[in-house]
Amino acid sequence: MPFVVKLGWSLVGVVAAIAYGLTIGGLIRKVMARIQGRIGPPVWQPFIDLGKVIFQRTATQHGVMFYLAPIFRAGGGMGLYLLVPVIIGVPALENFSFNGDLLLVMYFIFFGSLGMALGAAEAGHPHSPIGISRGLSQMTAYELPFALAMVALAAQVHSFSIREIVLAQQGSVLHWNLFANPLAAAAAFLAFLGMNMYSPFNIVGAPQEIPVGPPTEYNSKFLSLMMSGRAILAVAKIVLFMDLFLGGAHSLLEVFAKTLVIYFWSVFVGAVFPRFRTEQSIRFFLGWPTVAGLAGVLLVLVR
Amino acid sequence: MATTTKKKLPIFEPPAGSLAHAPLGQGCFLGETERLQAPKLKEALATIKNWFRANSLWVMAYGTGCGAIELRPLVTSRFDFERFGMAMRPTSRQSNVLIISGYLAVKSLKRVIRAYEQMPSPKWVVGLGSCTINGGMYWDSYNTINRLDLYLPVDMYIAGCMPRPEALLAGFGDLMQRIKRGEANGWHHYLENFDWYKANQKKVITDWNMPDYNW
Amino acid sequence: MTEILDQIRQRFGAEWQHVQRPDLLQIGVDAKKVVPLLTWLKEHTPFVQLTHLSAVDWIEEGQFQLTYLLTDPTAHVSLMVCARIDRDAAEAESVSALWPQAVTYEQEINEMFGIRFPGSPRQGVPFILEGWDDIPPMRRDFDTVAYMNTRHPPRPGRKHTDPRAYVGQVFGERGFLHDD
Repeated sequence: MPFVVKLGWSLVGVVAAIAYGLTIGGLIRKVMARIQGRIGPPVWQPFIDLGKVIFQRTATQHGVMFYLAPIFRAGGGMGLYLLVPVIIGVPALENFSFNGDLLLVMYFIFFGSLGMALGAAEAGHPHSPIGISRGLSQMTAYELPFALAMVALAAQVHSFSIREIVLAQQGSVLHWNLFANPLAAAAAFLAFLGMNMYSPFNIVGAPQEIPVGPPTEYNSKFLSLMMSGRAILAVAKIVLFMDLFLGGAHSLLEVFAKTLVIYFWSVFVGAVFPRFRTEQSIRFFLGWPTVAGLAGVLLVLVR
Repeated sequence: MATTTKKKLPIFEPPAGSLAHAPLGQGCFLGETERLQAPKLKEALATIKNWFRANSLWVMAYGTGCGAIELRPLVTSRFDFERFGMAMRPTSRQSNVLIISGYLAVKSLKRVIRAYEQMPSPKWVVGLGSCTINGGMYWDSYNTINRLDLYLPVDMYIAGCMPRPEALLAGFGDLMQRIKRGEANGWHHYLENFDWYKANQKKVITDWNMPDYNW
Repeated sequence: MTEILDQIRQRFGAEWQHVQRPDLLQIGVDAKKVVPLLTWLKEHTPFVQLTHLSAVDWIEEGQFQLTYLLTDPTAHVSLMVCARIDRDAAEAESVSALWPQAVTYEQEINEMFGIRFPGSPRQGVPFILEGWDDIPPMRRDFDTVAYMNTRHPPRPGRKHTDPRAYVGQVFGERGFLHDD
């Protein structure tokens, strides 16, 4: 289909992804509340929060990078989303996948956090740099098993394009990379826990220690951009993992089912583990996940 | 927000002589200490905006006095204020409601004023307990204030010593109704009568070493 | 444990002594003997911990009383050492060299009573009252109601009820609810 039409459909997909991300957030809050024996907020509560935050008057701003940081984060999320195919077979939802986008994906994931770090450093609040230094050091640690898993997949499929990886997994459930290369999948799913910055790796924005860390000074419309950026980054990541390890999707129902499973993986792990300190999480990522990633690469090379 | 005299500044240039290099006590943040121009109260789509604001009240997690002990059960499973969309936020930049829970010492009042002025509008103040209404149990203490609404604009008082969580939930429900009707405009009253509030505050806080308005 | 009181009387001389409970002993000494007494108690007896240091305003006699509460942590016995100082030139020797926590107590007593402890760090540094411009508020000649009426006036229309009259109205002369 012509490029402009495809771009239009992709932007519609971006809006839908933001809505989906916010809904998942609300769903998780409701589920956690029910587990704890209380009623919990309605499922559409994040939309109300977003609306309230947009309708506030801005209290303060701190300069150029402060303005640009939420844009970086949302931009990283949008760029990531535009590269991963959502549903194979429907050209409107296939987005712009090309050869080499596997590496670009890693860059976009990093770009979002980097922008946040630069903006929060400008906020002038002493707790922001603490949160940022923790977050970035954790990021360098989990990038290693993630990159090894990507290399293993690329070597297996002989291509750096996500679309090719998805197409190589068609056929049967046993062709999914989750079962075809379980070591790379293990490394990547453990790195996924660090990427989400959810418990046990949420020392970046620990609310009790440093008041939410980097987003401390963000208010009203900046906060609304950060919230939607977080939503789309989360959705793009789970769609990416669905494409890489769970065989892509052929219908909307498959998308919802598989992405919810991946999202719940991080929620369930987070519910049972306490928070790790920064050096503990770095030591963790450079331990077994890296070993699993290396073993995955070797497995592919040997086969 | 724009001030009464200065025009809107470009975002990445502090004005000449502003506080990046000005001494403390003379002005903070872009060198503006004059009071803000009160924003116009009547705004478009006020009903919709107030509905959003009332259904997602974020409370600042700042327990100023002994009443904060009744706020903690609100978060737990038995009374659960999250079902109304309320949440506790650790920073004043992201909160809408400031709860003055119980007696307010003069030392705390100085910090509370700073936190209140850092919150983005629209914002609301809830006075918990009798000490905010008329001094309560500590009415004759040299260290606590007796009338909260001389220093901060209060939108809802919840009487009791301390009010139980059920009373707090009823009070927050009333506050949400007032917000939806458009009657809770304490922040606007504060900006309009800024000089009066500031004079009251300075009468009680004798060692004033902050800017007149803390952004 | 009352033999400690006899030992103190023998070594330093005491003005009065009292055994309030088996685990709470009280003794009154001269102000000049306080620091040698506390040093001896800390070094040579089981009373090694300073639990509290407070002051009492005996305004009718024109004196302050400093009360040092020492504890024996193994036998769980407390000893109160009380010393009187002059009210107009209120000065006492600091014990911060023996116990570092005494610095905070002496800072608070300085702020609330106006007693000076020369040599103690943080004397005069505000502890609770910032920008205080009146006499030290724990002194009994500080009229807290008058201060409240000028600095924190009550809400107009407030009614003041005498508790004794109110209790008499509701509960009768006996002071409690009765059926008849």
